[in-house]
Amino acid sequence: MSFPATIKEVMAVVLSRELEDGDHLQVGVALPVPEVAVRLAHIMHGPNMQLIFLGGRMNVHHLESIPLPDFGWDSRSVRWAESYSDRGHRFDQVKAWHKRVFFVGGLQVDKFGNINLIGIGNDPTKLKFRGPASVGTPTLTTHVGRYYIVLNNHSSRVLVPKCDYVSAVGWHEGGANSRKELGIPGGGPKLCVTPLCVMDFTEVEKRMRLVSLHPGVTLDDVKANTGFELVIPDIIPTTLVPTEDELTTLRTRVDLNGLLRSG
Amino acid sequence: MLNQVRESSVLPEEKAGQWVKSGMTIAIGEPAPMGLLRWIIRNKITDLTVIGSGLALDYLIAGGCVRKVITYYAGSPDIAVMPAFRSEAENGTLEVWECEEGILTSGLEAAGKGLPFMPWRGGVGTSLPDINADLKVIRDPIGGEVLIAVPAINIDITLLHASISDSYGNVQHCRGTGWLDMFLYRAADRVIVQVEKIVSNEEIRSKPWETTISNADAIVLSPYGAHPFYSRGYYVQDQEHIRDYLEAITTAYSDGNRDKKDGYFEKHCNQFQSHAEYLDAIGTRHLISLSEY
Repeated sequence: MSFPATIKEVMAVVLSRELEDGDHLQVGVALPVPEVAVRLAHIMHGPNMQLIFLGGRMNVHHLESIPLPDFGWDSRSVRWAESYSDRGHRFDQVKAWHKRVFFVGGLQVDKFGNINLIGIGNDPTKLKFRGPASVGTPTLTTHVGRYYIVLNNHSSRVLVPKCDYVSAVGWHEGGANSRKELGIPGGGPKLCVTPLCVMDFTEVEKRMRLVSLHPGVTLDDVKANTGFELVIPDIIPTTLVPTEDELTTLRTRVDLNGLLRSG
Repeated sequence: MLNQVRESSVLPEEKAGQWVKSGMTIAIGEPAPMGLLRWIIRNKITDLTVIGSGLALDYLIAGGCVRKVITYYAGSPDIAVMPAFRSEAENGTLEVWECEEGILTSGLEAAGKGLPFMPWRGGVGTSLPDINADLKVIRDPIGGEVLIAVPAINIDITLLHASISDSYGNVQHCRGTGWLDMFLYRAADRVIVQVEKIVSNEEIRSKPWETTISNADAIVLSPYGAHPFYSRGYYVQDQEHIRDYLEAITTAYSDGNRDKKDGYFEKHCNQFQSHAEYLDAIGTRHLISLSEY
């Protein structure tokens, strides 16, 4: 394809390469980048993946294309599902969630990957900005094998030194044992992917660290738009852009309406 | 002489609606029981504590009926945060019982099982127990783990929308029940189920394993009763109508213009005496266009 990938497409491809065959992939509501990523991975290298959305589970590796649902909260979102766990069993098998991979956004994210979906402001009974509430993120991030933080914008208002409230615990106040000490078993956040860069968490302190800069983005851009001190490695590569095969597959077999090409 | 006739649970909308009194705790399932919610708004029931999520909950808040919400999610794919919920919460006029899906279902399960609380792990280490004083961080007496004790969430009346029922309150959901419907049913003192169709007792008996709720306290006949939202196996959501709602309510709140909000509800709810009148206004042609797939 002659024209370059958009930033959202780059983000989706970064995530899709992270996913392994056999993963059970659960995406929250209103996260188009991971929605595309899981479908792309399913087509390209995941015949045994399971896609979980709003209670429906599907494996549609055999399909020529796996378009995004173009409707919201509706029974059509479980089209192609092989099972439907909305009969009240959605959270009844957390034992098996080590196989599950989750994707989550946030109003605020701090340097240890803690996330806030509750709101902004000092008084919880009268927030300055009332968020949508925690959905299922506290339970999912507590138990899943690993999860990815995906942000629609990278700014110092989102990436903050300390969240006003914590909906989902990442690495708490830091340290590889922090989750264990709290008594929350899952594997924790693995990466934070934004429109500027890819970040992970350091091995010992579990502080957020720059992994790669997206094409055209400078280190200063990232520093200026991050509200805390990121760990910066000596060598900073550029995020690997989508291959022609990846981009063609993404555009012609997943994102048919060009959701990630706009805006 | 003894009355030897089995009693019917079918009630007209206004009779069942009258069970809901200001100040009660009610729950709304999914598909959304919009016919009953419109009755509640029209009849100016207020100060409700409501367990629910999605835009149906927002509709009831905007309609002026809600004092407190118990919700895990107040957004939708159409909008990041629902407009009435957001404004009322930011103004401090709406109390929010902060929780999440696993915590909510634990509280409902405790109520259904007659227990004072249910332990849950999701939420440990978060701000939820700080914001919501009803959630207690406890040490489990068996293994000493830190967990959250979620108090039983008891409901006065649960309002659901389902596919079919016979006249004795044997309800069968089409393609499974909604995510919370069964939790909400088990946690409630009474349940009112509005249905697309009332069928014969024989039809229910021909597939008793499909009965999801037996002995519902009231059945209300309400075809297209989930409009503008979906009803599994019958119709999809009315995206146009939902967009209009979001636009009208968002502007009404951002302008601080009460009249705009009242105008919306006058046009889409209060002027109608019955669900049938509402459907007349939506129009047969439009309703048919929403047929599933």
